[in-house]
Amino acid sequence: MALNPMDIYKLLPKTNCKKCGEATCMSFAFKLLNRERKLEECTPLYEDKKYERQRKKLEEMLKPLEEATETGLIVDEGLCTGCGNCVVVCPVHVEKDPKGAAVGKGITIDDPILRVEDGAVKVINMQACRRYGKNRVLCVVCRENCPTDAIRFLEG
Amino acid sequence: MSFVCPGCSCLCDDIEIVDGRILHACRRGEEIFEKYKENRAKPMVKGKEVDIDSAIEEATEVLKDSKNTVIYGMDTTTVEAQQLGIELAEKLNAYIDDNSSFCLGEFVEAILRKELPTTTLEDVRDRAYVMVYWGANPFHSLSRHMSRYSYYPRGAKRPRGYEEDRFLVVVDVRRSETAKLAKKNAKFIQVDNDDELVDSFFKVMEGKAAKYAKEAGIILNEMKKSDLNVIFGGLGLKYGLKDLGKFVEMVRKMNEVAPLYFIPAGFHANMRGFNETLFEKTGYVNKYSFKDGKGDVDFAFTSLLQNGKVDTAVIIGTDPVSSLPYDVASKLKEVKTIVIDPRMSPTARVADIIIPSAVSGIEMGGTMVRSDGARIKLEVIEERDVNDIYILKKIEEGL
Repeated sequence: MALNPMDIYKLLPKTNCKKCGEATCMSFAFKLLNRERKLEECTPLYEDKKYERQRKKLEEMLKPLEEATETGLIVDEGLCTGCGNCVVVCPVHVEKDPKGAAVGKGITIDDPILRVEDGAVKVINMQACRRYGKNRVLCVVCRENCPTDAIRFLEG
Repeated sequence: MSFVCPGCSCLCDDIEIVDGRILHACRRGEEIFEKYKENRAKPMVKGKEVDIDSAIEEATEVLKDSKNTVIYGMDTTTVEAQQLGIELAEKLNAYIDDNSSFCLGEFVEAILRKELPTTTLEDVRDRAYVMVYWGANPFHSLSRHMSRYSYYPRGAKRPRGYEEDRFLVVVDVRRSETAKLAKKNAKFIQVDNDDELVDSFFKVMEGKAAKYAKEAGIILNEMKKSDLNVIFGGLGLKYGLKDLGKFVEMVRKMNEVAPLYFIPAGFHANMRGFNETLFEKTGYVNKYSFKDGKGDVDFAFTSLLQNGKVDTAVIIGTDPVSSLPYDVASKLKEVKTIVIDPRMSPTARVADIIIPSAVSGIEMGGTMVRSDGARIKLEVIEERDVNDIYILKKIEEGL
């Protein structure tokens, strides 16, 4: 259930009214997805009655954005079995914890990105992720090696 | 301080408990640490609660009168307790069996008889290149197997881990969760019949055409790149094979092409410990009769029950009412049952005598044997005096 800017754009007013400060509704859609803008900034959606249905749909669609961490990572603890594949494959962990996670043991550093706690993986320190900050890389190895799809990213 | 998880035959020894949170254990392991105090058994004789010593005395009396006793289970207890259990069986001239008779006992036997070459999981991590999960789905049976010992970790001679330095092969009848992980540098072979794949390997080595010739060819070529390749055989392989001898022969022949080892995958924490302990004593890994002095299919717990050959069953740390078919488990009501178990399992509920014991690895220390044969020392969180060793010693003294 990946979100994409086109789906968001389709539900926006598509008038390019510039009230939000963006040149086009499409660019507003992109920034919504990147969480640089909030839906409330599109005032016509809230003022004009005819957009009400679209607004409700958008609000529902953008809900996962709030659940997701800053890098767009969503962990469904209900699906996780605690196999620890994500912890071991993470390139940041391998670099920082060569004697722990890199060789398959439980992670030994204090602020790992992910750690298996009480039988399910938990996000501890998102700032260390390669997807975080300005020079980010769209790394998805933790999701690729999750056997239950408990790890998702906003962009899919 | 690190603890050893007694949840499965991985025996992960890196479990930590920090501020009441259990770190690094998978969901199954976490449940054991979290909930070991729940659903505990109470000492009972014929439905009436008694104190522990009278339950043990009553059990001793029953065993004195019994003519044909079977001791069954012990896969989740320590090697030290297993030795006592085997001694007790010898003293009683009883039958002894565990879950391995319908689990992976055959493979462990082949390894102990040195028919199948084997290696350790540490060597697998450090050196293995091709790893075949054959009829095994570690996602269900051994959650941390792939991340801790085999495919994902970086090893001394395999520094790039799964990214470049491993070749994963998954053989299964369906697209299992593990099969989904076979992406890059990997092969998933969906088989209808495991014998056909064994056959294909033989034929490819002889240069003939076969059903899975393409896949077998790729795997054999990949194996040549390394000095250590491994097959993890699970229950799917055991029940898929018509003839274990042919499989053993295949592994032997493939070793002429490239070094290939075998490690059984997926069973109770200390099943291999039971197999090894009994093998040392008798030369058989399970289904042994001290009366007849040999092991035989007829002495398997399931056959003994079905043929009505026993009058008393001592069930230690296992739950046949849950795990065996109804036809077999329902026969338990025709015999006297003594259950030694920390938990009030469904078997304990129908037992004549319940003797509560301690959870190995949490309330009782000792040794367990990992799936590859490594002996792991257990740590204790909260020592409990009445454990399997105390109970078995007491029964033996009373006889």
